[in-house]
Formats: sequence, C-alpha cells, structure tokens
Amino acid sequence: MRKITFSIPEFYGWPTHLLVGGLLCLLLAGCRSDDQVEPLPAPDDPYAFVAPANFPPATYTFDNNPVSEAGFRLGKRLFFDPILSLDNTVSCNSCHNQSLAFADFPLHPVSIGVGGATGTRNAPQLVNLAFRREFFWDGGATHLDFVPLNAIENPVEMQEEIGRVIDKLNADPEYSGLFGEVFGQNRINTPQLLHALSQFMALMISNQSLYDQHLAGEYSLEPAEARGLALFETHCQGCHSGILLTDESYRNNGLDSSFTDVGRELITAYEGDRGKFMVPSLRNVALTSPYMHNARFNSLQAVLDHYSDGMVDSPSLDPTFRREDGRLGIPLSETEKSDLIAFLKTLTDRNFTNNPLFFKEQ
Amino acid sequence: MYLSNYKALCFALSILFVFSACRKEDDVPEPAEPQEFGTFDLVFDNVYGDGELSLVGTDDENFDYVNGNNQDFNITLLGYYITKIELTGPNGEYYADEMATSADPDEVKGFYHVLESDANSRTIRLNEVPAGKYDRVNFTIGVDADAVSEGATGGVLDPAEGGWLWNWDAGYIGFAFEGRSPASPAEATQWAPENAVQLHIGGWKDLPDNPSMVNNVKRNSIPFPSSVSVGERLEPNAHIEMNLLTMIAGPHATVDFSTTFSVHAPALGSEIAKNLATAFTVDHVHQ
Ligand code: HEC
Ligand code: HEC
Repeated sequence: MRKITFSIPEFYGWPTHLLVGGLLCLLLAGCRSDDQVEPLPAPDDPYAFVAPANFPPATYTFDNNPVSEAGFRLGKRLFFDPILSLDNTVSCNSCHNQSLAFADFPLHPVSIGVGGATGTRNAPQLVNLAFRREFFWDGGATHLDFVPLNAIENPVEMQEEIGRVIDKLNADPEYSGLFGEVFGQNRINTPQLLHALSQFMALMISNQSLYDQHLAGEYSLEPAEARGLALFETHCQGCHSGILLTDESYRNNGLDSSFTDVGRELITAYEGDRGKFMVPSLRNVALTSPYMHNARFNSLQAVLDHYSDGMVDSPSLDPTFRREDGRLGIPLSETEKSDLIAFLKTLTDRNFTNNPLFFKEQ
Repeated sequence: MYLSNYKALCFALSILFVFSACRKEDDVPEPAEPQEFGTFDLVFDNVYGDGELSLVGTDDENFDYVNGNNQDFNITLLGYYITKIELTGPNGEYYADEMATSADPDEVKGFYHVLESDANSRTIRLNEVPAGKYDRVNFTIGVDADAVSEGATGGVLDPAEGGWLWNWDAGYIGFAFEGRSPASPAEATQWAPENAVQLHIGGWKDLPDNPSMVNNVKRNSIPFPSSVSVGERLEPNAHIEMNLLTMIAGPHATVDFSTTFSVHAPALGSEIAKNLATAFTVDHVHQ
C-alpha cells in the first residue's frame, strides 16, 4: 500500500550516505515505522533492481511494486504467453525479441492504433525502461505499468477487453497459484498483471556495451570508433543525449513533409507537435533495424544518408537541421558516416541480448 | 575507527534523524485530538435542469431531454470520479479522506466512481470524521497526477472492473456523459450506436510548451446551506446535485450535438470541463 502524499523525488534528493546511514540505523535500532523498510538486497541477487551509478534516478515506482524473483518470473512467463492477446495468438515476445534488444524483427513494422488512429509503427527495443518518463513514439503512456494495456487491448477507451484477459488468467489454475504467491490476493486483477510485467521489464537494463566499457575506462576505442564518437558528440548528442542516449523530447527529423501519422500531436492535440516523435535511445541501435517510427530505413547507412542529404521540410522540422545556407540536415562526408557507424556499433550490448535472466523458461 | 568530520557529521545526523523519527511515533504525546468521531454521507443526485434524470438503453428511440441548442437527446451513461474529499467547519474543524493507491483493491482509499447506473455508488460514506460542525465540502472531480503517476491501481481504478482508464493517455476519464441525439451525425461503429453523443472529460497534466495539453481535473469547494454536526450517534449527510444541464449548457460551453458529439481527448473537452465548477451544488443537508 502506498500513501499518495509521500513523494519519491524528495527521497532521491537526500545525500545517499545519509540515507543509507539512516536506513542502517533504522534497522539496527529496530524502530518500527509505518513504511516498512525493505531488507537491503544481497548485491549478487540477479532479481534486485540496481540502478547503474551513472544512470539518472529511476522513474519507476518501485515502492508500489518492488521486484522479487517470483514476480519477475511471473512477468517473464506472461511476456512469452499468447494468453494476453484476445485470440491467444500473439505474445509480447512476438514483437519484442531479446536477440534484438527486444525490438522487432527487420521488416516487421506493426500497426498499433494509439488514440484511435491506426498508424504503422515500428516496435522499439525495450531497454532501460525503468528510467524513462514517457513511452511510445508519441509519449502516449506516462507510466511503464500502463504500456502493456495498449498492446493487450484494442485502443478504444472503456472497453472490457482487459476484463476478458483477467478472466482467462483467473480461470487458469497455474496462474492463480503464481499470482497468489506474488501478490497474496485470491483474485488476479489488472494491477497485478501490469505489476508483474513491469517487474520483468524493469530489469531490462542495458549498460554493458563497449561504449559503457569505454566510459568506465575499461576499453579504448578503435580510431574509427573514437572519430565516430567525436562526430556523435558534435552532431547527435543534442538529442540522443546522456547515458540513455535520448533526451526523451519530441522532434521532427525531416522524414516527411506531410504526415499520415501525426505523432506527438495525437496525444497533445497541438498542431505545433505534428510530425514530432520521441527521440529514440540509440543503445543497441545496430540491432534494431528497420529505423524510425515508420521503419523507413533498413540500415544505419541509409539513416545517415537521410541526415546528410535526405531531409524534407515541414513547419515542425527541428531548427537544428536548418543550416545557414538554407539547406537541411547535417553535413557528413562518407568517411564521417562510416566512422559514425563504427561508433554506433559500440552501443551494442551482447551481455544484455544474451543474458539468460530473460530467457523463456521450460 | 577514524571518521572524517563530514562522515561523522552525516552519521550523527542520521542517528538524530532516526531518533526523531522514533520519537514521533513512540514518545510524543498525542496532540489534543477529539475523542469522538462520526460518519458523514455525501449523497450525489444527478439531475437535468429542474427535473430528475434517468438512463435508457443505447437502442432507445425516445429522446426526452432538450439541450441548450434545442436538440433532443437521451442519456445512456453518466458518471464521474470523486477524489480527495475534505470537510471543513466554522471553528477549524477539518477532515481529509485518506488517499491510497495499491494493486490490492482493499488497500485503495479515497477514490469514488459515482455512476448514475449504480445507486450504491452515489452515496459516499466518510468514516472517522472528527466530531464537530461542518459547513463546506471540497473534492476533486477526476483522478489527478498524484494518482496517475503511481501506476496501475486496483479497485474502482481497475479497467477490468469498470475503471475508466484512458489507456492511450495513461490517465482516467474524470467525467463521462454518453447518450444519443438525432442531431448527432455519428455513424454506428463497433463501439457506439448511430447518433451517439460521447463526452469524455479527461486529461491530467499541463505541458508548458503545449497549449492544447490540458489538465481537466477540477477541484470544487462548495458551502453547505447550513452547518451540520458530526458525532457518535448522529447520521448527517449532504445531498450534492450534479446538474447535467450545466455541464452541456453552462457558463463556459454550450454543446451543439451536431458538431460536438465525440469528445475523447483532453483538449476537446477543456471548455466543457470548466462547467464542472458550477455543475455541482449542495442542495440540502440532513442532520
Ligand atoms: C503486435 C506487435 C506488438 C506486441 C504483441 C507487443 N508490442 Fe510492445 N510495442 C509494439 C509497438 C509497435 C510499439 C511502439 C508503439 C508506439 O510507439 O506507438 C511498442 C512499444 C512498447 C513499449 C514502449 C517502448 C518505448 O520505448 O516507448 C513497451 C514497454 C512495450 N511495447 C511492451 C510490450 C509488452 C509488455 C507487450 C505484451 C503485453 C507488448 N509490448 C506486445 C509492438 C508490439
Ligand atoms: C534534433 C534532434 C536529433 C538530432 C540532432 C539527431 N537525431 Fe537521430 N533521431 C531523432 C528523432 C526525433 C528520431 C526519431 C524520428 C522518427 O522516428 O520519426 C531519430 C532517430 C534516429 C535513429 C533511428 C533509431 C531507431 O531505433 O529507429 C537513428 C539511428 C538516429 N536517429 C541517429 C542519429 C545520428 C547518428 C545523429 C547524428 C548524426 C542524429 N540521429 C541526430 C532526433 C535527432
């Protein structure tokens, strides 16, 4: 149970040693407080959520839904189970594949009508979700818990579809047992389902690429990679910024001059947002082709050709891409492009895509 | 063991923190709280203009109500969330209903889904209200950012249990009216009959760079016509009227069903939402 008046950001604002010291003392002194103090997880517990030190504070509400081994494994089971789709044919895994950092297979753009509009959007990779503020290409979900509803349900409000999924789960004796074990209630409901999925997805942390090793001083970049990084810092980091490689803003990078999928405007109903999409994280980007919300490009080369020479104008085109000479895009030579690609490949995290923690069980 | 000054200070501070936290609960005498508590009921009556209001099925061809544009219509669904209830009194009396979100429906506190179709939902019982006089009620219509940002929640907020979670906007519909009107050009769809009118008021946050992204969650503060006493053997209540006429033909918006019949986004509902401020009144109180 969570009282709404308690606020996490303040909690995060405290100096950590003070916090840790305080927690330790709390434990030692055996002083009971209303909010139960979770036992500190063993450092080698693979099911403990541990934010990497160089990541921003987690956004996910773990105090409502702490990750446990049983909860994580239940979430995993659900992720692979087509029981979540109304006709028992599709699972989350059908569109989010671990070997591709949980992105979709190439040339498998999918249609999901968010906000009642049918758009063709490419399934993004699922990494570092516990640190994100908003989800989907248009930011149509603001909490990780709510994301799967869009996949499970027809995107129409006040529909009973989720109710039917919950009924199916309740009718399944194995799921009844598993949910009971994790949540201690005798009936499965929507928040339990969503919490289990979030526990699974919250641990999808990708921070062991060559680039991360470079940041940690454990890997020295090849010359081409290093030149690529310098170019990246100059031309790309204004948007694909920070350790998550996205600033989570909504921008138009010149794909279209008129829009069948209006992007952010779907959510904000603001014309100024037409054609803007969330800046995607570039982690594992070498694995996630095709690229862009509409799966426009099949290779990183094609993406860079777009940035250098392929942009088209529209009112919401990001001002970054307007050059002084009136041309659009980022000037890049062919060698610069190949250097950039060499750098982008250092963002691949094979420890993540090969991590057995996420493998299907049985 | 040697500690740097800074660390020692931190350590001392944390100990201090722990002790003060403990003392708060164990040692400090309880503040002078009233010894006596009672209940208070908020009874919601949905009305239309000067008359009563009742629901019909979506295939009903009778249109018994007339809107501000002289268009006939009927009502097939009507409801809203009431949250964050407070009572206040002339001598500083104060009661705030507890708010809590949880996956466990029994732990969810302070969210009420008032539905015309469910008589029980229209009476909200407040328990453990400190004895005293009360002459005002404050409440929020809708589910605000505090709750939305907590993620999935059970009880009346569970979409499988009839909760109005607006899944693509990750918020809740705060107020909904549905009906049919011959003036509405809506064609029948899988989800709505022909001539449908659907006004769904939602949207829970402002975005500074987006004038159209609106927060339609409203807070009302309504005086009682006279004060009422809460106490152990008393059963006071307040009858709150929600006038649908004010919602669709109020000071901020007069809805024309030939053009406004499908409101499913925050911006489209923002003017109608402003009518919420005067749609609720306390009609009378019972001691
Ligand atoms: C039919 C293919 C498909 C299935 C099945 C599917 N997804 Fe997705 N997923 C997508 C697409 C497409 C998007 C992007 C949608 C958008 O941005 O509008 C997406 C987006 C997401 C995101 C947001 C990622 C981000 O960076 O914003 C998450 C999280 C996610 N899906 C989780 C799930 C889960 C959990 C399931 C199973 C319950 C699931 N998906 C099932 C296609 C699918
Ligand atoms: C002004 C902001 C901005 C800048 C600068 C920028 N990008 Fe992007 N980038 C975006 C946006 C927005 C998208 C998504 C566009 C869409 O899908 O509609 C994107 C998409 C991408 C994608 C596709 C990722 C995927 O998973 O589909 C790649 C790759 C990419 N950018 C690389 C780069 C590189 C390399 C640079 C520097 C040369 C760069 N970007 C500069 C905003 C920017």
